[in-house]
Amino acid sequence: MDDHLTGILSNIGVISFVALSAYLLLLTGEISFGQQAFFAIGAYTAGIVTAMWQLPFWLGLGAGAAAGGAAALFVGLPTLRLHGLQFAIATLAFAEAVRILFELFRYQVVRDGEPVGPNGIEGFRNIRYIFEHDVSATQFMLIIYGLLGMTLFGFFLLERSRLGVAFRMIGQDGLLAAAQGVPVFRVKLMAACLAGAIAGLGGGLYAHLTTYVEPAIFDVMLGVHSLAYGLIGGLGTAFGPLLGVVIDIGLLESTRWFAGYRMIVFGGLVAVLLIVRPRGLLDERLVHRIRRLVSRRPPPAPTNAAVLGEEPS
Amino acid sequence: MIPFIQTTLDGLMVGSSYGLLALGFALIFGVMRRLNLSYGPSIMVGAYLGTLLYIQFGAPTYVVAIVAVAGSVMAGVYVERLCFAPLGVGAGVASMVSSFAIWMQLEQASLLMLPRHSYPFPSLTSGELLSVGPLVVRPDYLIMLAAMLAITAALHLLLYRTRFGLGLRAIIENSVAASLSGIDVRSTMLKAFALASAIGGVAGFLVLSANQQVTAMLGMWATLKGLIAMMIGGLGSIPGAIVGGLVLGVIEVHSQTLFGPQVRDLAAYGVLFVLLVLRPGGIFGTAAVSESAAHRGGDRWTTT
Amino acid sequence: MEAMLEIVDVVTTYGKIEALKGVSLSANRGRITCLLGPNGAGKTTLMMTVAGVLKPRQGSIKLEGNELVGLSPARIVGNGVALVPENRLVFPQMSVRENLLAGAYQRKSSGEVAADIEQMYTRFPPLKERREQLAGTLSGGEQQMLAVARALMSRPRVLLMDEPSLGLAPIVVKEIFGIIAELNREGVTIFLVEQNAHLALQVAHHFYLMEQGRVTFSGTPGELAEDEVIKRAYLGTRRSAG
Repeated sequence: MDDHLTGILSNIGVISFVALSAYLLLLTGEISFGQQAFFAIGAYTAGIVTAMWQLPFWLGLGAGAAAGGAAALFVGLPTLRLHGLQFAIATLAFAEAVRILFELFRYQVVRDGEPVGPNGIEGFRNIRYIFEHDVSATQFMLIIYGLLGMTLFGFFLLERSRLGVAFRMIGQDGLLAAAQGVPVFRVKLMAACLAGAIAGLGGGLYAHLTTYVEPAIFDVMLGVHSLAYGLIGGLGTAFGPLLGVVIDIGLLESTRWFAGYRMIVFGGLVAVLLIVRPRGLLDERLVHRIRRLVSRRPPPAPTNAAVLGEEPS
Repeated sequence: MIPFIQTTLDGLMVGSSYGLLALGFALIFGVMRRLNLSYGPSIMVGAYLGTLLYIQFGAPTYVVAIVAVAGSVMAGVYVERLCFAPLGVGAGVASMVSSFAIWMQLEQASLLMLPRHSYPFPSLTSGELLSVGPLVVRPDYLIMLAAMLAITAALHLLLYRTRFGLGLRAIIENSVAASLSGIDVRSTMLKAFALASAIGGVAGFLVLSANQQVTAMLGMWATLKGLIAMMIGGLGSIPGAIVGGLVLGVIEVHSQTLFGPQVRDLAAYGVLFVLLVLRPGGIFGTAAVSESAAHRGGDRWTTT
Repeated sequence: MEAMLEIVDVVTTYGKIEALKGVSLSANRGRITCLLGPNGAGKTTLMMTVAGVLKPRQGSIKLEGNELVGLSPARIVGNGVALVPENRLVFPQMSVRENLLAGAYQRKSSGEVAADIEQMYTRFPPLKERREQLAGTLSGGEQQMLAVARALMSRPRVLLMDEPSLGLAPIVVKEIFGIIAELNREGVTIFLVEQNAHLALQVAHHFYLMEQGRVTFSGTPGELAEDEVIKRAYLGTRRSAG
């Protein structure tokens, strides 16, 4: 497989993690502009574990995911009781604060006569575990997609579990869900932790893919993009955010069709798309219909909340 | 003592521009109940158009000002028509994401106009510092402060002494009740958007002329500052926007003087975060913003 | 007896749910027409459809022959139809006077508007007392008066009222209904949705019963025994349980 294609596919794979992270929170009705912070935390943690402490790759990834989840828990506790927009801005403030903190963060050790480690604004270079251990680009891509596949499988299980139903219930109507006995805050916190861990995992993969991370990468743009992917691709299924990533990075970045005008075209397309389909391409209705076709079983009756949440036509 | 007052004064001046930016944000949010992420980029379009005239044709400063504001209004109307008008009240997040998509669009369009990272921008004054007793004042900043006060006063008159202002306030309180009273909600929203963009355009022009340059970060900068200032002052509150802007300015300048530019930004975000956690309504809001107010803007009506 | 407001076969949906399944009724000029029915029947949906806040999927709503469907709520007010919404929906942070001014938003002559405001103060003395007070601090009954007065400020030819008695003490309700009767005597056509069937039947010239998005009865008070009406208004017609 040619390197260019491998690179793009790997990129898509890694960014999908942070898109899924924002999506998970969206399911519970929370808008987060800050998932890139956990992506960053995962990236730096994984890099420190492998490049500086010379520990195995999987440990690095695990640490990245754990760090992401822990940070999410830490931030989620005071903020999840906030209402929609306040929460969104709080996540933005948090993520930007994290980014600035990484600009100030210096931690270096000497390996083979060279200093290695995060160096403030200059970032963290030489996260070369993959290359030092002879993993080819294609192999790493497969690792990325393997992990992505496992994450998607996790989502698949989640959608069918009580927890997943609780997520969507809260997303539709938090008061109604609470009235039904759902421990709303705890469930949201769980969603936040999972989302943080997913982003952290993605960050760890990203760091090793590019071998170099710097704070500037983890900016507001990345955060809003992650959110946008789910909203463009559709909120009905975990494939929605993936679709969004594919459309942005796959279609537009790699084809040099609209070089120079790419964002103008993409931006306009997204705006028009959202007029026609405010819940994205693969929205709940479409996914519901696809599932009916596939399973050929009568669908469960839609809840009042689900129906009343839509605009009167 | 004097340095402290000096720094605070500088902070208030810088804060005036933040206040104006927040004012535009608050106006749009109050009326639409949604965040317009294209706010900064709209200002950027206007500023860039003005800059283009300046460097290509040597346009005089007042022309640049007019073009900056007009461009900002045009871009704002474009955003409103595309992202907000077609999407009803139910699709809250979609409007915001749509406005983000247009942010990307407007930013790239601006950069196509002027690709370099920074360009010179005409200034309003010669730059000579004024002395007020032991304190030093930059005249450009003084103009910003004066503009902020003037615009705030004008807005107050508009809101409380005109029919249009009455309609706007009614929509802010309850858009369903407003339409039932005979107020043309869609047309008023569009005008409010244009007004907010104009205020933003003025803020942008004043800041750029004080700095005598415009950079590619303008869009992001304006959006972030406006948003933070608005949140500090209280979501959607108009007096809050001004106060929030001033507070942000003071915090920033003090932090920068004490610890440097990075801590300045960190301090702003830190204060915002802490404020949101402790007092989500902001300085002027209630201590806890209620579900109905934040979610539905008091628009709820039940069915029988 | 001519129909002032004619509603024919209106279907309004919420997503997939049909809240109004083809409603036809009319309000005659100069009369009080009442719409009764249990919760969830679609009465408020109908009012909101007439007022233009909701758009029907099909059907027509004509005011003296002019089609109202498709017009914005503001245009419908301009055509002379004003709604006093359920739950009043006054503007809480605006004063009583400003609320009244809002109701007069479309009127051109400020002199006439000022005169009308004075008239409202005469008709509703509590509003005069509290004219600079914030509407959110008024009692339920006062807010109801304010909501009615605000709607009247547009000088409507048809006044729609959605549950004016909701949440009010009996004495206040009597007052409100007294005002309704008075307005009608002055020539205003009134179309009224009510839960309080007893009171409604005392003022109505004609009434309809609505259940589950359909009109199930049309007639004058007296045509149907009052307790039968009340039963249907609260419980609906007999349906098999479960």
